[in-house]
Amino acid sequence: MTVASIEERIETLTEEQLRHGLAVFRAKLRAPEAAYLNACVHCGLCADSCHYYRTEPVLDNVPAHKLDHVAAAFKRHFTAAGRLAPGLVGARPFDRTMVRAWLDAVFGRCTLCGRCALNCTIGIGLPRVFRAARAALAAMDLVPDDLQATVDNSLEHGNNMAITRKEWVETVQWLEEELQMETGDPGARLPLDKHGAKILFTVNPREPKFFPLSLLASAKVFWAAGEDWTLASDPGWDLTNYGLFNCNDEQAGRITRNLVDAMERLGCQTLVIGECGHGFGAARWEGPEWLQTRYPFELRSVLELLEEYIESGRITVDPSRNPQLVTLHDPCNLVRHGGVSEPQRRVLRRCVAHFVEMTPSREHNFCCGGGGGQLAMAQYKDRRIRAGGMKAQQIRATGAEIVVAPCHNCIDQLMELNKEYGLGIQIRTVAEMVAAALVTVGEPAAEGKATP
Amino acid sequence: MPQPLHLAVLAAAAWAVGALAFAWRRARSFGRRVLFAPPAGDPAAGVRYAFTAALLPQAKESVRLHLPSYAAGVLFHLGAFAALGRLAATMAGLELPPGPAWAVASIALLGAAAGLALLARRAITPHLRGLSTLDDYLANVLTTSFVGLGGAALLHPPLEPAWLVAAVLLLVYVPVGKIRHCVFFFSARAAMGAFFGYRGTFPSARQGG
Repeated sequence: MTVASIEERIETLTEEQLRHGLAVFRAKLRAPEAAYLNACVHCGLCADSCHYYRTEPVLDNVPAHKLDHVAAAFKRHFTAAGRLAPGLVGARPFDRTMVRAWLDAVFGRCTLCGRCALNCTIGIGLPRVFRAARAALAAMDLVPDDLQATVDNSLEHGNNMAITRKEWVETVQWLEEELQMETGDPGARLPLDKHGAKILFTVNPREPKFFPLSLLASAKVFWAAGEDWTLASDPGWDLTNYGLFNCNDEQAGRITRNLVDAMERLGCQTLVIGECGHGFGAARWEGPEWLQTRYPFELRSVLELLEEYIESGRITVDPSRNPQLVTLHDPCNLVRHGGVSEPQRRVLRRCVAHFVEMTPSREHNFCCGGGGGQLAMAQYKDRRIRAGGMKAQQIRATGAEIVVAPCHNCIDQLMELNKEYGLGIQIRTVAEMVAAALVTVGEPAAEGKATP
Repeated sequence: MPQPLHLAVLAAAAWAVGALAFAWRRARSFGRRVLFAPPAGDPAAGVRYAFTAALLPQAKESVRLHLPSYAAGVLFHLGAFAALGRLAATMAGLELPPGPAWAVASIALLGAAAGLALLARRAITPHLRGLSTLDDYLANVLTTSFVGLGGAALLHPPLEPAWLVAAVLLLVYVPVGKIRHCVFFFSARAAMGAFFGYRGTFPSARQGG
């Protein structure tokens, strides 16, 4: 069977499908979004806040222009002025032309990073509006195919890379042997399905697939801290949720359910989300909304846990073991939208000898360009790499040799930027830096001093 | 002062207030979200931050990069508030003493000049021109006329009727186009502040870059 291309699907949209898409859009809006859609004054000051515009200054990349496509349909269908004087207020109908404009604006030119919201004169939360628009497109089967395939993998296989249970379990077992060799402790474990463990640790499937040393680093820190933890062998080990990006809340909820079920199955107390920005955002902030319930367990970022280990003295670190100049990338879904900006800084200041901030940083950071599902949408790759130019400039300006990114999606994008822009950097997770700085029993700690 | 013009201003003001209230209530009718994720911060603190420090250049790159536009915008709004204040005084039959009258006239005329500058910027900046609809130009022209005539009429009283006509036109237009932001600015910014406050992002750990 031949699958119709997205353009073919747009071309064959029926009036009923368009009405359905509009109804889904309307259903996703609440009072804040209705205010946002009434509030833009077209001042254009948002333009420079967007990494797409900064690297390609054309009208299509101005956040207000992207918003305008959505606001035009909103005004036409849901406001009196838009119905009575569409030409005056820029109202336009929700038709195939508009659908194409939405697709290009909200999937093709936006990572939902939210930097524009902070810089908007009014304070319009553009990502919230764009998520409603993406949901409408999803309801019309207009999610870019490769992004949807990633979601489908999670729904079908329990992880977004379709890793089989056998492959996952064997990888964990192999890493356990590695951990035992590295620590010299035959009792060092990467526990699988340990019932009643305090912590269920979840990872991005990129770790077992491409970056096993990241998982090994986390395991080494847990070992050093004497943590009571486990991984799950069945669905619930993958923290990612691309439902955050296709904005099909029903599918996103089913993926979140894997985590909740694993917690119930294993009887753990705390769900720990590994280093992944969107995974944290999806599980911490959106998951309870998708499931319409509060979790009956605690959820934390692994970064908070790492900080706790260091501050409480459960592990000892020696910053002189990371002597290079290190900078930190702030993943949008972890920092701006996730509210976790300081633990990773405090950890790095204790674990590295020389730390330098990017400018700007924290909630003002620039997106790496790979967020919002962009890494999964091959048709927008050229734009993604170009938009990542802002991050490349930021990194180069620090002079850092190592960029720490507490997000595996960001790491993928940063690796491409490293190659494309010739940055000559190493890219690490926070756990990798902590593991490298670990002082284990019997080892002397050097007199290394972290930069403030 | 011709009485019919005063009545027209009052009628236009009633329309503006009523229609804005209707638009605001309609937006509110979209409903609130019930949030299940436990907060990481205080939404009220986020709202306070959004309306204060988050608006300042040190916390807002868009302001730092566009200080002349920011200053023009501030002046334009100050001029509008001055002209509106003067309109309220006029409707109440109050006459400004010479000192305050000069101050209001100066602020209004500066505001009108800023409005004209912003209009010119809109017309000549490619991405702004591309963004703009008829509403953007009309809203600026109506506001600038009202503000400018408000200042000028204080210095040259024969312009008073023209200013009141400008006031009527502006008030009639307020709920139709982008000047609705006089209401939606507050609800949008409060929503944004509450969102980031709930998630612990606002108030900022360290303002600016």
